[in-house]
Amino acid sequence: MSPTRREFLWTAGAAAAATAALPQTQDVFWTTDASPDPGWAPGVETGHNSSCLLCPARCGIRSRAVDGDLVRIMGNPLHPMSQGGVCPRGIAGVQMLYHPERLASPMVRVGERGAGEWQPLTRDGAIGMIADRVAGFREAGRPEALAVLAGYCAGTMQDLWHQFLRAFGSSNYVSDDYDDGTDAIMALMHGIPRRPGYDLERAEFVLSFGAPLFESWWSPLQAFTAFAGVGSAEERRPHFVQVDTRFSRTAARAHEWVGVRPGTHATLALGIAYVLIRDELVDTEFLAEHVSGFEDFTDTGGQRREGYRSLVSRHFRTEEVSAITGVPVQRITSVAREFAESRPSVSVCGTDVTLSPNGLLAGVAVHSLNVLVGSVNRPGGVQFGEDLPLGPLVAPVFDETARAGLDRAPIGGPRPPFGSGDQALRFAEAVTGQADSGVEALFLYYANPLASSTNPSVWREALERIPFVVSFSPFLDETTRYADVVLPDLLPYERWQDAPTPASHPPNVWGISRPLVEPHEGGTHTGDGVLAIAQRLGGSIAQSIPYESFETLLQERARGLFTAHHGMTLGDEFARRHHRQMEERGWWLPEHANFEAFWEDLVERGGWADLWYDDTDPAGLASTSDGRIQLMPPELLRALEASDQEGEPYIDLAVEGATAPSDFPLRLIPYRVSTLASGTLALERWLAEQPGIFPDVKWIPWVEVHPETAHELGLSGDTEVWVVSPSGRCRARLVESPGTAHENVCMPYGLRHPDGELASPLQLLDGSVDPLTGLPSWITTHVRLERA
Amino acid sequence: MRRDEVMAKLASMPPDERVLLRPLVETSRGFYVTAVALGAVVLWGTFAYYLQIRYGLGRTGLNRPEYWGIYIICFVFFIGISHAGTLISAILRVSQAEWRRSITRSAELITVLVIGFGAIQPILDLGRPDRLLNVIFHAQMRSPLLWDVISIGLYFTSCTIYLYIPLLPDLAVIRDSGIKAPRLYRFLAAGYRDTPVQRARLERVIGFLAIAVIPIAISVHTIIGWIFAMTLRPMWHSTIFGPYFVVGAIHSGIAAILVAMVVLRRAYRLEQYFKPVHFDYLGRMMLVMSLLWFYFTFAEHLTVFYGAEPAEMRTFWAKVTGKYAVSFWAMNLGCFFIPFVLMARRATRTPKGTLIAGIAVVIGMWLERYNIVVPTSVNPIWEIEAVGRYLPSWIEISIMSAAASGFILLYMISTKFVPIVSIWEIKEGRDVVEEVTRRVARYSSAHDTPMPQEDG
Amino acid sequence: MTRWGMVIDLDRCTGCAACEVACKSENNIATVSPGQADMGRAMSWMKVMTEVEGEFPENTMQFFPRPCMHCDNPPCIRVCPVVATYKDEEGIVGQIYPRCIGCRYCANACPYTVKYFNWYGPEWAESERRHLNPDVSVRPKGVIEKCTFCHHRLQKAREDARAEERELREDDYQPACAEVCPTGAIIFGDLDDPNHRVAELKEDPRAMRLLEDLGTQPKVYYLRSRQ
Ligand SMILES: Nc1nc2c(c(=O)[nH]1)N[C@H]1C(S)=C(S)[C@@H](COP(=O)(O)OP(=O)(O)OC[C@H]3O[C@@H](n4cnc5c(=O)[nH]c(N)nc54)[C@H](O)[C@@H]3O)O[C@H]1N2
Ligand SMILES: Nc1nc2c(c(=O)[nH]1)N[C@H]1C(S)=C(S)[C@@H](COP(=O)(O)OP(=O)(O)OC[C@H]3O[C@@H](n4cnc5c(=O)[nH]c(N)nc54)[C@H](O)[C@@H]3O)O[C@H]1N2
Ligand code: SF4
Ligand code: SF4
Ligand code: SF4
Ligand code: SF4
Ligand code: SF4
Ligand SMILES: [Mo]
Repeated sequence: MSPTRREFLWTAGAAAAATAALPQTQDVFWTTDASPDPGWAPGVETGHNSSCLLCPARCGIRSRAVDGDLVRIMGNPLHPMSQGGVCPRGIAGVQMLYHPERLASPMVRVGERGAGEWQPLTRDGAIGMIADRVAGFREAGRPEALAVLAGYCAGTMQDLWHQFLRAFGSSNYVSDDYDDGTDAIMALMHGIPRRPGYDLERAEFVLSFGAPLFESWWSPLQAFTAFAGVGSAEERRPHFVQVDTRFSRTAARAHEWVGVRPGTHATLALGIAYVLIRDELVDTEFLAEHVSGFEDFTDTGGQRREGYRSLVSRHFRTEEVSAITGVPVQRITSVAREFAESRPSVSVCGTDVTLSPNGLLAGVAVHSLNVLVGSVNRPGGVQFGEDLPLGPLVAPVFDETARAGLDRAPIGGPRPPFGSGDQALRFAEAVTGQADSGVEALFLYYANPLASSTNPSVWREALERIPFVVSFSPFLDETTRYADVVLPDLLPYERWQDAPTPASHPPNVWGISRPLVEPHEGGTHTGDGVLAIAQRLGGSIAQSIPYESFETLLQERARGLFTAHHGMTLGDEFARRHHRQMEERGWWLPEHANFEAFWEDLVERGGWADLWYDDTDPAGLASTSDGRIQLMPPELLRALEASDQEGEPYIDLAVEGATAPSDFPLRLIPYRVSTLASGTLALERWLAEQPGIFPDVKWIPWVEVHPETAHELGLSGDTEVWVVSPSGRCRARLVESPGTAHENVCMPYGLRHPDGELASPLQLLDGSVDPLTGLPSWITTHVRLERA
Repeated sequence: MRRDEVMAKLASMPPDERVLLRPLVETSRGFYVTAVALGAVVLWGTFAYYLQIRYGLGRTGLNRPEYWGIYIICFVFFIGISHAGTLISAILRVSQAEWRRSITRSAELITVLVIGFGAIQPILDLGRPDRLLNVIFHAQMRSPLLWDVISIGLYFTSCTIYLYIPLLPDLAVIRDSGIKAPRLYRFLAAGYRDTPVQRARLERVIGFLAIAVIPIAISVHTIIGWIFAMTLRPMWHSTIFGPYFVVGAIHSGIAAILVAMVVLRRAYRLEQYFKPVHFDYLGRMMLVMSLLWFYFTFAEHLTVFYGAEPAEMRTFWAKVTGKYAVSFWAMNLGCFFIPFVLMARRATRTPKGTLIAGIAVVIGMWLERYNIVVPTSVNPIWEIEAVGRYLPSWIEISIMSAAASGFILLYMISTKFVPIVSIWEIKEGRDVVEEVTRRVARYSSAHDTPMPQEDG
Repeated sequence: MTRWGMVIDLDRCTGCAACEVACKSENNIATVSPGQADMGRAMSWMKVMTEVEGEFPENTMQFFPRPCMHCDNPPCIRVCPVVATYKDEEGIVGQIYPRCIGCRYCANACPYTVKYFNWYGPEWAESERRHLNPDVSVRPKGVIEKCTFCHHRLQKAREDARAEERELREDDYQPACAEVCPTGAIIFGDLDDPNHRVAELKEDPRAMRLLEDLGTQPKVYYLRSRQ
C-alpha cells in the first residue's frame, strides 16, 4: 500500500504552502490539512560558493537560497582544506543570520549606560556621530585617545583597522583574539615569528598534545579531512594519538588516547624524547645539519652548558616521567617508538600546553619532538607558510597630528618578554590603573570582553571610564549594552570579506566571503563603516583609505594574487593535483585573460589557493643568527637568567604540579565545545539545544565529574551545582563521566543557561600567567562543587 | 404522577418488583452527593482534555521513548474490567449455572458502560483525534490497532444487545407498572408482552448471543495483548500475551463485579439477592483466576529470566528490582497474594473479604498494565539509547479520574433506569428449581451425591 | 530494482554531528524548549549516539550516527492503522503527515527508536521562518516524523535527470547528512546497483547492521571501527 499521489506530492513537494500556513496551525487543533496554495510556484533558487567566517578555520561553503532567503549552508567541495565538509556550527549559520535578536538598525544610547534605552539612528547619522566625536579629540591633538578592541579578524579587515588607526594617529589596536602562544615558540626556536603549520594530510603519525583537533582547533576541518584521508587518492590515513587530560571527543576518536595529569603534557613529551635519544631513534643527520643545542655547548658568555641531550637524559627518565604524568612506562616507550618509526610524524601543540604557568617552556618541549625526528619543513611535518601575495593597501598618508599620536607609546603597560600576552586585559588594567589613561573612545569589533574576559570586572570599570564606546556588533551582547553608539555589522552571509585559512593549514588559501542574500537594511558592513568614517574625517585619513567600498578594496588585494604567477582559483581534486604537479616542476600557466575574468572566477569558485609549498628551501627551517634550529634558544636562556626562574629550559617541567588546597579539592579543566560559534554569543537554537553529543546534555551548561567523586560529594548526575573557585562561581548541571579523572572536573566554556546567564569557567581562573608570554593559565585553578 | 401515587403503586407490586424497582423511583441524598462529586471530576477531566487538545499531547508526561502512558494503561484496564460482565454472565448462562441469575444484570451493565470508557482511551491518546475517521477511510488491515477497532466494535454491539434483550421483560414490567417515564419505557420495551412465544424467542436469542459473545470477548482482550505482542519490544513480544491478557481481564472483571455487588447490596439493600453464596462462588472464581494469573505472570517472567537476552533483561530487572520494583511487587500483592490468601478460605469469601480482595485486584490489575506499558517503553531495545523516564502529568491523571468517575456515575444513573437484578430471571429461577433438581440428578451418580443445597 | 541504502563508516566518524545539524536544516526540524528537552522531547532524525566504556584513562568510545534504518522488513509500517507510514517501491520508508492520526504505534514498533512525535506544534521565531526549506513540509502538531532519506531530493534529482534526458547518477541523489559529512563517513546510494559504492561496501567484512537478529533488514549498514 502506498500513499495516493496527491498526498505524496503534499508531503514531499509543494510543502512551501505548509510553511505559509504555519501561523494558523499553531494553536487550532482541527485545522484541516493545509492544501497547496493555488498561487504556489517553485521559488527562485540561487547558490554561491563562499566562506564560513564563524571560526578561524574559514571553511569553504556553498549556499542555497530560495526567493532571496538563505535556506541551507553546505560545503564547497572546491575548497582544498574543507573539501566539501562543514561543521555543525557552519551549517547552523542560517539561524545566526535570521536570529530573532539581531539588531534592526544603528542606535544611540539615550538613557544611562547599560540601561538599555536606545534610539534608532540612520546609518549616516551614526557615522556622522562617530566621526564628529573622534574628530573632536583628534583636533585637540590627542589622536591616540582612540582605541580599537578587535577579536579574531585575520585578513583585510584587520589590515583596514590598522591602516585607519595609523592614519588617524593611534597605535592602540588591541587584539583580543586566538593567541595560543605558538608564534613565540617558533620565533625562539626557528627565528620565524609565525604560528606553525601542520601538514597533517601527509603525515603518517599525528601526536597531539591537547590540541582539540576534532573539536575547536584552528581548523577542525583540516583535521577531519586528514583523519579520513579525504583528499588522498590512495586513501592514506595517518595514525592519531591524543595526549589529553580529559576524555575529549578528539581523544575518543583518535586511534589512541593517552590520559595525562593536568599540566604534564610537556613532561610526557620529554619522556618521549628520552626514549628517542636512548634508543637512538632521533634523526641524527638532521640534528647535525640543522640544529643547535642538542649537544652540550658553550654559550655567548663563554660558559659551558648542558645541551638538550644531557638535560633530557638526566631529568626525564621514563620512570620519573611516568610518576609525574601518570602514564605507564611501557606506554611512553611504545608511543615514542611509534612516533619515531611511522615517519613522517608530527607533534601538535595545543593551547592546553601553552596556556599554563610555564606554557612557553612546555610548548618548546612539545615542539622539540618535531625537531628530534626532523619533521620540520618536510612533507607531513611542521611547515611555515608564506604571506599571501596580496596587493598592498595604499601607502598611508600621515599628517602632523597622526605623526605626533603615533609617537606616543601604546596604552597597556610593558609587554612580556615573548609574544604579546593578554593585550586586552593589559589594556583594561591600564585604563583603570591610572587616574586618566587618556582613552577617549573605544571601538569594539568582534569583541565582548564583559563576557569573554577572564576578568570582566576590570573591563566593566574600564568601560565606565571611557567616555565614548562604539560597538559594531550585530547583536546586543553584554559589552554592546554598554556602548554609546551601535553601528551593527552585516552578518557574514551578507558581506564581502576575505577568509584566509589559519596558519595551521600550510598551503595558502584565500577564501572569499560574498553576500549570499540581500543584506539587512539596518546593517552596515563594518569595513564600509570604517571607509565612511574616514571619508567623513577627510584629509589625510580619507587619502589613506581611498576605496569606494570594502568590495573594491578586496579587489585591489586580489590584483596581487592575479599577478603573483603562482596559485589558482579554487578547483576540484583533479585541478588541485594538476596544479600542484605543475608548480612542483616550476611551471605556471595563466588561466585568465584579465583581472576582471580572474576576479569573477575567483568569486564564483570561492577563493584562491596556492597548494604547492617549497620544502626544499632551507629558509623554511630557520632564520636564526646561525641559520639553525635552536633547541636551547639563547634569548630564552637569557630571559630565564634575568628572571628568578632557574636558568635552564626543560628542567622546570620535571616537577610535579601543585597539590590542591583542601577547600578547593578539584582541578578545573575548562574546554571549548566545538559548536561554539563565537566565544560569548548565545548559540544558535539548533546548537544550544544540543551543544555536544557527548555528554548528551541539552540547553544547560554542565560540569563533568567522575561518578565516584560525585558520589563521595553526595552528588549525582543531573543535580544542579555551583562550581566555586576563589575568584567566583558558576552554575551548571553535574554530569557523571567516567572519562574524567577522579581529581578533576571538566567544564565547557561559552555555554549559557536558557535565561541567558553565562556559565563561564574562564571567569573562575586563578589569574596566574606565564611570566614569559603573559598568557593566562587555564589549567591551574582549583574548585569545589556545591549543591545549587 | 404524584410521588405518593408512585409509592402506592410500588407497594402494591409483588415482592421482587417491590425491592428491585424501588431504586428507580427513590433516590437518596447520598446518591446525589456522590453523583455531583463524580460529575465534578468528569467536568474537570473534560477541561483537562480541552487543554490537551488546545495545546497538544505535550501537556501529558509522555515523551520519547515513553510514547504510551496512562491512556493506554487505562485502555487495557477498562476494557479488561469490561470482561466482567458479559463474558462471565455468558459463561454462566451457557453452563446453566443457576446462581448466576441475580448477578448477570449488574455484571453486563458494567461491561457495556465500561467499554465506552475504555474505547475512548486510545482516542484521548491520539495526536490528531480530528483525523480519527482515517482509521476507516485508510484502514490498514495489518495493524493490530485495526483488529482492535473491529473487535471492540463488535464486542460493544453484541454486549449492548446482550444486555438489552434480557432487559426486555423487565422493561415491559416497568412500562406496565407505569411508575416511571411511561413513554420512554414504552419505547424501550419495544412492544414486548411476555407472551410464551415471545419468551421462547427471547430465550433462544439469549442462548445464541451467550455463545456468540464468548469468542468475541476473548478476541477483544487477546487482540489488546497482541497490540503489544506484535512489536519486537522486550517483554511485549510474547506469545502468551493473548491468553495472559484475557486471564487478567477476567480477573479484574470478577473483581469489579464483586466490588459493585458489595456496594449495590449495601446501597439498595439487596441482601436477599446477593447472598453469601454468590460471594462464595465468585470468590472461588477469583481464586482460580488469581492462580491462573500468577501462573501466566510467573511463566512470562521465568522464560525471560531464563533466556536472559540482554535487552529483555534490562526491562526485567527494571521491573523486578529496579525503578519499577515497587509497582511490580504491589501488583503481585494485589493480583495474587491478597486475593489468594483471602479467597482460599471460605471464612473470608464473605462480602467483606471479597470487597477487600476485589479492590486489591482492581488496583493490582491497573498496576499490571502499568508494569507492562511503562518499563518496556522506557527501556529501548538498542542499549545505547538512553533509558527514558515517565511522570504522568496532572492532565493525564485528571482524565483518568474523569473516566473512572464517569463510568461509576453512569453506572449509578443506570441503576435508576433498570433493575440491577433481573426480575424475570429471578422469577424464572424459582420456577425451574424442579427441573434443575432433575438435571443435577441426571448427571450425578446414583447414590453418593447429596442433593444440591443452595443452588439457585 | 533500486534499493536506496546507506553505509556509515564508523572508522571515519568523528562524532562531529554535522550530519545531525544538516538534517535539521534540510528538514526543518524545530528545537524544543529546555523543559521539553529535559522530558526527552527533542528531535533529531539523525542522532549521533555514543557508547562509552572503561574508566579514566582507559576509556573507549564508539560513535553511531543513527538515521532511520529504512528497514526492508519494517515493523513500523505494518502496525500503522492508516498507512501514514509506508515503504515505497525503492525501499524508502516515508511518512504521510496529513494522514497520521498520531497514535505512535509505529514509534513503539520501531526497534531503533528513530521516530519523533510532535508533542506540540513546532515553534519558529518569526525571523527564523525564512530559513525553512520550502521542499520539506513543516509538520503540524500531533504527528510522527522521522528520517526520510531526504526523499524530496530524489524527486528533484529525478526531475532534473529527466529534464536533461539522462539516467539518474549516484551523486545526483545524496541526502543532506551524507553531503556534509566532513570525513565522508556517510555513503549513500543504490544497494542493488553494482556501480554504486554502497553495493560494494555492504559486502565489506567490517559491515554489520544494528540489531540484525530482529530480522528487520535495515538498509543502513555500519562498517565497524578498525580500532
Ligand atoms: N568552534 C570554535 N572553534 C574555535 C573558536 C570558536 O569560537 N569556535 N575559537 C578559536 C579560539 S579564539 C580559540 S582560543 C581556540 C581555543 O581552542 P583551544 O585552545 O584548543 O581550547 P579548548 O578547546 O578549551 O582546549 C583546551 C584543551 O585543554 C585541555 N586541558 C585542560 N587542562 C589541561 C592541562 O592541564 N594540561 C593540558 N595540557 N591540557 C589541558 C582540555 O582537555 C581541552 O581539551 O579555539 C579556536 N577555535
Ligand atoms: N564565556 C567565554 N569566554 C571566553 C571564551 C569563551 O569561549 N567563552 N573564549 C575565550 C577566548 S579563547 C577568546 S579568543 C575570547 C574571545 O572573546 P571575544 O574576543 O569577546 O570574541 P567573541 O566572544 O567570539 O565575539 C565577540 C562579539 O562579536 C560579535 N559578533 C558576532 N558576529 C559578528 C559579526 O559578524 N560582525 C561583528 N562586527 N561582530 C560580530 C558578537 O556580538 C560577539 O559577542 O574569549 C575568551 N573568553
Ligand atoms: S570549522 Fe569554523 S569555518 Fe569551518 S564550518 Fe565550522 S565554523 Fe565554519
Ligand atoms: S557528519 Fe560524519 S563524521 Fe560527523 S558525526 Fe556525522 S557521520 Fe560522523
Ligand atoms: S528504523 Fe524504525 S522507523 Fe525506520 S524503517 Fe525500521 S522500523 Fe521503521
Ligand atoms: S503515529 Fe501516525 S504513522 Fe505512526 S502508526 Fe500512528 S498513524 Fe501511523
Ligand atoms: S537521510 Fe536525510 S532525513 Fe535522513 S538523516 Fe540524513 S539528512 Fe536526515
Ligand atoms: Mo581565543
